[in-house]
Amino acid sequence: MDELIQHLANALILGGTYALLGIGLTLIFGIMNVVNFTHGALYTVGAYVMYLAVAGLGLNFFLALPVAILGGLLLGAAIELLLLRPFRGSDIDTTMLVMIAAGIILQSGTLWTFGGVAKAIPSPFPEAPLQIGPVSLSWLRLFVLGAALALIALSYALINRTKLGLAMRAAFQDADTAALMGVDVRRIYTATFALGSSLAAAAGALLGPVYVVFPQMGGLAELKAFAIVILGGLGNVTGAAIGGFILALAEEFGAGYVSSGYRDAMGFLIIITVLLCKPTGLFARAERIG
Amino acid sequence: MSRFLPLALLAGLVVLPLALGPNPYLLNALIVTGILTIGAMSLNLLLGYTGQLSLGHIAFFGIGAYVSALTSLGFDVEIGFGLRVVHAPWPAAVGFLLATVAAGSCGYLIGRLSFRVRGAYFVIVTISFAEVVRLVALNWVELTQGPLALTNIPAITLGLPGLGMWTLKTKLQNYYLVLAVGTLCYGVIARLVGSQFGRAMRGLKENEPLALSVGINATRTLTVAAVISAAMAGAAGSLYAHYLRIIDPDVFLFATTVSMVIMVVAGGKGTLLGPIVGGLIFGLLPVALRPVMAPEAQWIVYGLVLIVILFVMPRGIVPGLSGLLGRRSAPTVPVLEASPAVQR
Amino acid sequence: MPGRFTLTTAILLALTATGAQADAIRIGVNEPLTGPFAASGTYVVNGAKIAADEINAKGGVLGKTIELVIEDNKSNPTEAAAVAEKLITSDKTPVMMGAWGSSLTLAVMPKLMDYETPMLVETSSSGKITTSGNPYVFRISPPSSLEAETFAPMVGRLGLKKVDFLVLNNDFGRGAATDFGKMLKDKGVTVGLVETMDQGAQDMSAQLSKLKASDSDTIMITSSVDQLVLLFKQMAALGLKKRVITTGGSQNPDQIIAQAGAAADGTMHLTTFLPWSPDRTPDPKATAAFIDAWKKRGFEFAGVTESFRGYDGIRAIAHAIETAGSTDPAAIAKAFWSVDFVGLNGPIRFAKAGPAGKESGQSKPDVYLIEIKDGKVIVPTL
Repeated sequence: MDELIQHLANALILGGTYALLGIGLTLIFGIMNVVNFTHGALYTVGAYVMYLAVAGLGLNFFLALPVAILGGLLLGAAIELLLLRPFRGSDIDTTMLVMIAAGIILQSGTLWTFGGVAKAIPSPFPEAPLQIGPVSLSWLRLFVLGAALALIALSYALINRTKLGLAMRAAFQDADTAALMGVDVRRIYTATFALGSSLAAAAGALLGPVYVVFPQMGGLAELKAFAIVILGGLGNVTGAAIGGFILALAEEFGAGYVSSGYRDAMGFLIIITVLLCKPTGLFARAERIG
Repeated sequence: MSRFLPLALLAGLVVLPLALGPNPYLLNALIVTGILTIGAMSLNLLLGYTGQLSLGHIAFFGIGAYVSALTSLGFDVEIGFGLRVVHAPWPAAVGFLLATVAAGSCGYLIGRLSFRVRGAYFVIVTISFAEVVRLVALNWVELTQGPLALTNIPAITLGLPGLGMWTLKTKLQNYYLVLAVGTLCYGVIARLVGSQFGRAMRGLKENEPLALSVGINATRTLTVAAVISAAMAGAAGSLYAHYLRIIDPDVFLFATTVSMVIMVVAGGKGTLLGPIVGGLIFGLLPVALRPVMAPEAQWIVYGLVLIVILFVMPRGIVPGLSGLLGRRSAPTVPVLEASPAVQR
Repeated sequence: MPGRFTLTTAILLALTATGAQADAIRIGVNEPLTGPFAASGTYVVNGAKIAADEINAKGGVLGKTIELVIEDNKSNPTEAAAVAEKLITSDKTPVMMGAWGSSLTLAVMPKLMDYETPMLVETSSSGKITTSGNPYVFRISPPSSLEAETFAPMVGRLGLKKVDFLVLNNDFGRGAATDFGKMLKDKGVTVGLVETMDQGAQDMSAQLSKLKASDSDTIMITSSVDQLVLLFKQMAALGLKKRVITTGGSQNPDQIIAQAGAAADGTMHLTTFLPWSPDRTPDPKATAAFIDAWKKRGFEFAGVTESFRGYDGIRAIAHAIETAGSTDPAAIAKAFWSVDFVGLNGPIRFAKAGPAGKESGQSKPDVYLIEIKDGKVIVPTL
């Protein structure tokens, strides 16, 4: 019983960052119809910016976090302007390949710059966990969950409560009509891609201190993000948030009670099962985001 | 002209090792490039002719490699309920045949699937399929040795009654084996594309409702294409296993699929020569770049080249060049228009 | 982008010849310089370089300088085999050192048979390496059975009752679980769970939660240092407070102290080198000189528990070449049997192991149990 509760707590904490990863990816697909193969690389970049800020510049941990998010935002905007805008109007396969190429460049670039040896980001939280009955919760991981939930809430507010969000929702429903109504769709695309990228970087910056930082860390994260997004239905933000928690639960219980070696297979088994039974994802694609 | 070109290329490839002299390094590069090019040719059948972007293509390659290796090494595993499956080693050539059959059967599944899920969903489901297969190879240690790798895989032995046995151990022998299998695959694809079936494939890709209305059986066409494509990838995987004589679950890495996709797209998807041209360029590029830069930097160049090609010659090098020279090009297919297959 | 971009290019790349130095004796070095074992492989290579420079400063071997041909096997078995083939056929190295991990070394071994070239194994600990009948293998690191044997007398004094295992899902980890499990059972200790983890795994919370719920008193862990750091942090986060003993000799206690901090306090480690107290090593003068050279090059002290293997490995190879009197692979293989000198962790002398007629060489190094206490390494008195 104690073990079960501990597994549940682990899953809850992991689910927050998974949701963050998924939302960024699904937002970009929903609005821009682009499968973002740089998502994993942006996650890695977020973690490295965090590492540079904390271990390199000696910046305060809590100040470094927004720096990493901003880094993701700027890099995302640059990718959109340089690589996606010129290919606007190409088919989805072409943009997918462009994104694959950009992902290769980013990942190899981090490996080239930082080398293959993993780096640790020091955190200001105490090692001793918070003990609630039989369950132990790490302070750092609790902070990560809190920060992830806050960022998710912020994204929701941005989409639903701001003018930019309104324009994004308009572009999501019908880009052509939105353009006719005076929405600058090109700017919306840049903003969307930058926002999605910053969420990926945020996830990397949050998980970097929990684990270690290395150039290939984004690979698995990206595949997991795909799983989450498929689970929730491509383009469905709420679905992605729920999908993140479902994947975390499946992994944690899979590793705890089935076999630890197949932990990472859970996500893919979920994708295949979901797509075979309900190809549009567990949550049918929403007519509007938010 | 277009009939003469492939033959000239083949003749060039046949005499190439003689021109190079004994250079194990270049020969090795050519063999690995050749194996990957066969993979790219098989991918082109799906991507170029039916328009299905399968990013799990490495799964067929890897399944072929493992099936072939395990057939020739033998195994002894428990499959539950106290049942054991014991297999004594068979000749590597049998492994090669079984590899194509096994990969082809998996292709059947993906082909059926491609009709249920389209566009981005299809792409992601194929990636997931490859990852699941990789994780099985990694974790089913009793069968696959997991991360320990399958070692001591025998080289392929060809035998003809009366002529004796011939074990392909040297690089030169392997080069010609790869060239022979590659030529065979090229022939099969060329026949297929030129046939009634090829027109059905292209019809489905260009205008599905129209194709359906004239009585083309979409499910059957896509499935047959997927089976043939997967079987060829499996054959390439088998060649890979018996040439390197060691395989580990990293054979399923997504990066290898990406290499093949780059070869197809850069060379020209939907053309017969495209994957070969792309395969030779991107397979041998590392040889040229090796003295000047680190592997990471090479991958950066790879990425940049891919982007430039997509931008400058979105249809690929072969159609791009033929267009430029005003020559009658090999049958090319226009790039997909804003894909109707994507579920929006 | 998922995955590493290594597979195909690397195999292509691995076979280029490296620029040759005219009159040098070349020694191949096949180590993981990228991938999950990058840190350890780099340490070993740096230790090897110190040995090579030291030997060359003293006039080299057979009147020639020695030259290390260093290649990266990317922590991947297929790459390791490709690198070995490249070193032998393209660089014409008559003898090699490698390949750090057991899975990597096992992948290289068929190539040694094919090309009849000897290799000195400096780190790998799987028993299979010296029992599979490969006469070209000479190992200076202890197999896990030897480690378990040395640890056996301490079992009673530590008061172990029930032990769980958490090991890497490869030869290294599984081999350790088998050998230590057998030894513990012989000693009347109960063996509980055997949990595995992938070499690249980052989150072991699920396995640790399972271990936390078990009624064992001790967890034995076999992994490399990066994963140990994560494990100790995650154990602290889960409030898992059982006795921890790590095996395998790739722990770099100082790196653990630096990166895991207080989470590593109280953990015990089986190691093969005592750089913290050079006086207690078999050759105090050599140990001090090595540590000095290491520091002079600006490397972190944490690396010496791994780099000494590279140092001793190259020294052993130099001894073999000197004895052989030539750079013929067969002569060097034969000469390994008469190598006899005191290394940094005990005498290096190869005893025959494995099936008769094609025995591998196995040296018997010292094994020590150390403990991390208040951020310092101590040798507990048992």
